[in-house]
Amino acid sequence: MAANLEEIRGALEAIVGRANLSGDAPDMIPYIKDSYSTMMGREVPLPDFVVMPKTAEEVQEIVKLANQHLFPIYPRSFGVNIAGSALPYAGGVVLDLKRMDRIIEINEDTMTATIEPGVTWGRLRKEANKKGLDVIPIGGPYQTSPVGNHLLTNITLYSSKYHCDRAVTLKAVLPNGEILRTGSWASAVGGEVNPYFRYAYGPDMTGMFRGSLGNYGIIVEMVERLRPVAPVEKNVFFGFEELAPCLKAMQAVERLEFSRTCQASNSSMTAHLILSPHRIKDPEQRQKLLARLPNYQITLGLGGTEEMVALFERVANEKIAEYGGKPFCLEPEEMAILNQVAEGASRGIMHMYAPCSGFAAVIGCLPITHVAEINGIVKQIVGKYDLRDPLSGEPLDHQLIVLPYDRCSTVYVEQEILYDPALDQAQLLPVMQCLRDCYAQIVGKYGASHTIPNKTLMKNMLPSYVELLTGFKKMVDPNNIMMPGGPYSLD
Amino acid sequence: MLADYRDTIYHCLKCGACRHAYEVYEPICPSGMKYGFDSHYAIGRISLARAVLNQEVPIDAELMRRIYTCTSCGACDEQCHEAVGVDPLQVIEELKWEAVESGMIPPEVRDYLKHMNVHGNPYLLPQEERGAWASVAGVPQFDGQEYLFYVGDVGSYDERGQKIAAAVAAKLMGCGLELGVLGAREMSDGNEVNRVGERGLFEYLAKANIEQFDELGVTKIITLSPHAYHAFRNDYPQWGGRYEVMHYTQALAQALEQGKLTAGEARDQRVAFHDPCFLGRHNAEYDAPRLVLEAVEGLELVEMERNRNNALCCGGGGGNFFTDLLGAGPLSPSRVRVREAVEAGAQVIATACPKCFNMLDEAIKAENLEDSLTVRDIAQIA
Repeated sequence: MAANLEEIRGALEAIVGRANLSGDAPDMIPYIKDSYSTMMGREVPLPDFVVMPKTAEEVQEIVKLANQHLFPIYPRSFGVNIAGSALPYAGGVVLDLKRMDRIIEINEDTMTATIEPGVTWGRLRKEANKKGLDVIPIGGPYQTSPVGNHLLTNITLYSSKYHCDRAVTLKAVLPNGEILRTGSWASAVGGEVNPYFRYAYGPDMTGMFRGSLGNYGIIVEMVERLRPVAPVEKNVFFGFEELAPCLKAMQAVERLEFSRTCQASNSSMTAHLILSPHRIKDPEQRQKLLARLPNYQITLGLGGTEEMVALFERVANEKIAEYGGKPFCLEPEEMAILNQVAEGASRGIMHMYAPCSGFAAVIGCLPITHVAEINGIVKQIVGKYDLRDPLSGEPLDHQLIVLPYDRCSTVYVEQEILYDPALDQAQLLPVMQCLRDCYAQIVGKYGASHTIPNKTLMKNMLPSYVELLTGFKKMVDPNNIMMPGGPYSLD
Repeated sequence: MLADYRDTIYHCLKCGACRHAYEVYEPICPSGMKYGFDSHYAIGRISLARAVLNQEVPIDAELMRRIYTCTSCGACDEQCHEAVGVDPLQVIEELKWEAVESGMIPPEVRDYLKHMNVHGNPYLLPQEERGAWASVAGVPQFDGQEYLFYVGDVGSYDERGQKIAAAVAAKLMGCGLELGVLGAREMSDGNEVNRVGERGLFEYLAKANIEQFDELGVTKIITLSPHAYHAFRNDYPQWGGRYEVMHYTQALAQALEQGKLTAGEARDQRVAFHDPCFLGRHNAEYDAPRLVLEAVEGLELVEMERNRNNALCCGGGGGNFFTDLLGAGPLSPSRVRVREAVEAGAQVIATACPKCFNMLDEAIKAENLEDSLTVRDIAQIA
């Protein structure tokens, strides 16, 4: 790219305007580092330019230019980048899509929002609430983007009711610069009138983009499913001393089919949610809280009329009690944070990583049958590497989150190994090795699947599957301009 | 030293909470909103600090231009502190200090500091003119009165600032408060000098002010500007300057409570209060200005969507009022702010800071809103 850099700069400037392009190192440095790259000790080169388009047409022009000059493109939506998924591994152009932030429509009839990639969960929730609707949000923080999440894991506390994927249809700029619309939106004649039906005209093209991490193109608009807000919505919390009955109770209560949201977690996570980012540093406060917390908890979100919620709560209590669980309640300010997190897209969820913000996530999707075992395995491996709590220095108690899919047919399990990223590379090495060992065990022995592909995981997949994954990439992106290099490239 | 903030720098989660206000979900960083690149948000500035710390890049004027567009408004701290416990502003200000130490500052900052060094004010005006407005307004010189009314650079030299200073003094004296100004003896409080990283000059100014205050027997200070209020309240004590410091809105609220302030009348005016960052976020005073406004008969106080701890900065802090590194344009925070006031249904945007007043007044003109919105200081309303 260096040979015709000035020509490319001129062309990019003509597309987005001078103010929305930079080739200055101080503007590009922030786009090459995140938590992941620090832990892995991975050096990522500076891109040649950072560009901020405003419209789909501008994105199209940039992509066409990339094909003409064969430079790589790394799109990012609102730019919450903590897992290395949007770093410019081969230089080129970082496409910062923050300026594409329109909420184009909130449709009360279809309960959908049509949004651009720079829209955050928080902002969408605010606007949806004005129309009596709500988002079905990520369990993560409010400032992430629904479009970005669709390209990643998109885990929600609502996965038992709505599964993992709330995208309905989308409009993408393909790697050749052409526009693709999916689902009913794909129709050239009526698509603009009805972009609200996903499973139209054959295979699920909206699903093709889920977990694709930008390899297949750049989503410039997405129709996102919303949900109705019930007259009464309430979260109830149950505690268990052992994990196995907690999971059994989750399975049983989910099969009664009334919960709005559901999750299980351990006390290590709950303590972080409540005490972080400041009070967690005080060992006395931490110990006192842990003494009051059950070892494991189930959080259920209920919704309906007053009578329905009362009935659901009673039934949940009875069912949970069959497995030895009990309702638990903490101080009002403590419950406030748990309630906030239980609604998703919260600020409080960031407490689980705070105050050091270093975390290695062992993620797997599998039947609930194996969750207690893999929790034990992770605990064992963490012990083998003698990993320590970054605050207390005591043996690390990893955080556990379990979210059921489809009334607990399978579950999403996330186990967080916290560390201090301020440690030097040699001290971080055991964390990385521990993470690899954990994945090797839970993927190999239990077939736990990850929600996104990366090059390490692809080694474990069937050749025919990988061939399709990469073959589709070759077909839509013959010049390999989208996301080349790095762990998430499908080239 | 930047190295002292290594943990803060490495504990940035890169989550972007510094960009949008929680529960408001609108942009909150004035420079990021204006420029868009991450380098103008705390998230990017922390990355730059890390690169500097690890000697991957040198501190130079180009890098520092991204740092100096920060207005020290504290909005990033407000978001990040609660989310992950990181306070990015201290890292940003440490970078500014290192830049000053190494002489790698943008020319606009260099010129501002030069003027402060040579003239003692950024207006290049003689010291003798500092109290001219007070003579005209009939405000007495300080001579042992209960309160020193500290005016500061903008109130002393800027035409709009002088009018505000006169209005505030009149209002305070109308409440029966005995006060005096230093006039030609007044020196800059140094808050902006500190905020651009010239800690040596700030220390010199602070010590000189403390020496003079102590010589004159000053024990209680009412400030015109939230910036001076912040410096006197939070920074001067480290050099022994301990005074009872109030911002003038606090003095008015106190007078109101004591029945000494008879608030005026407004004819069916809808007023939105713009929280100055150094009164609100930096010192948690959100109520006093509102109490004074609410006491005005016929005035309807409306709130802009971004208010109190989530208020959007006018863009004038961190020395930007003088250096203008943030620049003009439709996305400049002051213009965004006046549009927000109109959206809130306000006819008047009220301020309690002469810098905010100027920034918003200019923005109203740039937005051609003169027929629908005016900016007024609280002392000009109450």
